Amino acid sequence: MEPAIELPVIDIDELRRVMEEYSERGWTDGLPVMPVTESYVSGFLAQTIRDPDEVLLAMPHLDRECTVRTAAINAAMAGCRPEYFPVVLAAWSALRLEGYVERAIWQSTTGTAPMLLVNGPVRERIGLNSQGNVFGSGFRANATIGRAIRLTAINAFGLRPHELDQATQGNPAKYTACIAENEERSPWTPFHVEHGFDVQASTVTAMTMRSVVHIEARHTTVPEQLALDLADTIRRTGALIHETISACIALGPEHAELLAHHGWGKDELRRFVFEHSVNSRDALAAVGKDAVSGKTRWRLSGAHPDAVPDSAAGSDEVRVLNSEQALQIVVTGAHNSGVSAVIETFGPRGGPPAIAPVESAPA
Amino acid sequence: MLERAGVPAVSICTDAFVVPARAMADVYGVPDFEFVTIPHPIASLDPTEIDANVQAVIAAVVRILTGA
Repeated sequence: MEPAIELPVIDIDELRRVMEEYSERGWTDGLPVMPVTESYVSGFLAQTIRDPDEVLLAMPHLDRECTVRTAAINAAMAGCRPEYFPVVLAAWSALRLEGYVERAIWQSTTGTAPMLLVNGPVRERIGLNSQGNVFGSGFRANATIGRAIRLTAINAFGLRPHELDQATQGNPAKYTACIAENEERSPWTPFHVEHGFDVQASTVTAMTMRSVVHIEARHTTVPEQLALDLADTIRRTGALIHETISACIALGPEHAELLAHHGWGKDELRRFVFEHSVNSRDALAAVGKDAVSGKTRWRLSGAHPDAVPDSAAGSDEVRVLNSEQALQIVVTGAHNSGVSAVIETFGPRGGPPAIAPVESAPA
Repeated sequence: MLERAGVPAVSICTDAFVVPARAMADVYGVPDFEFVTIPHPIASLDPTEIDANVQAVIAAVVRILTGA
């Protein structure tokens, strides 16, 4: 009988032998990886004019670096298609611009992950999902671009858990974390345009993140009620290690529309959330975080021998954000319910976000 | 780093970090690097408990510093 569909013929024993070999060598995140060959990798390198030996990011304290070629090998192993590679390269540029990775944040007990945000026409060109289940599974470009960064961390920098990766618990985004803005359903200027890029440019923004916190607000049509739910999540005392924190509000399109309908732009939302992301001195004292260490500026109890007053000393209202710029806003997800998220980013911040352009592939 | 600059130094870490400390020593090409360990944790100890930890390892610190 003829088979109904024609499938490629492979030697499964050979394929399994190769996959087991990669696994035994520790070249994976735990999931099977795609075996690579020189010819396969050359397809990725053909997507850029950059020299394969160009260093994308170095970790001097480990005496290790990631080159264009290493990034290509790991993108291939992660399951990327070659045409995704310019986005992976832009992700490395953005991570370098952000500056935390070179300062060993991927080895920290905090267990951060690199959250990537993609804007511009490349989303449609390579099939990046921005329209539902954005933090979830199901889309090859999102899944494999984020994974390419993790596999590089493991294979180029040797950051394996229980060894140089000292994360106490880590977080699920360490497998992969690449979202795209739903520019088409956003009532506002796209994220990259807000930060000075052309609307026809494609960009990757890097955000070292600790967690994605879910916001339920299906009940309201009042902008202030929604914004207070966001502020209440951002100010939570459990997030405080440093004196202040930073966050990216990932608004579902329905919430963005609600705000825009009442005349709120991103600036109005940012200002309101900044002003209301506040804890009382008593609330901080109740969890032993009412002062900071004179040495590290980490929060601790005012009774601790290293304690010095925080920047809000003398005031009962203590902000968790150092400025409105510590807050980024992006619109992403399906237009189907009053659901948003707060991406808790690492570090106090306050400057511009780390955005890198996606370079065009050679003609 | 300090030792490479000619300054005698001792690394002290808690027992929770022995594996990464050993891995870092490998990275720096000194797999036999000697360091002192104390029980984990530190951050939640009071001054008396910290003092007790110091007393317990001071002899080892001196021994490594003086190469005795």
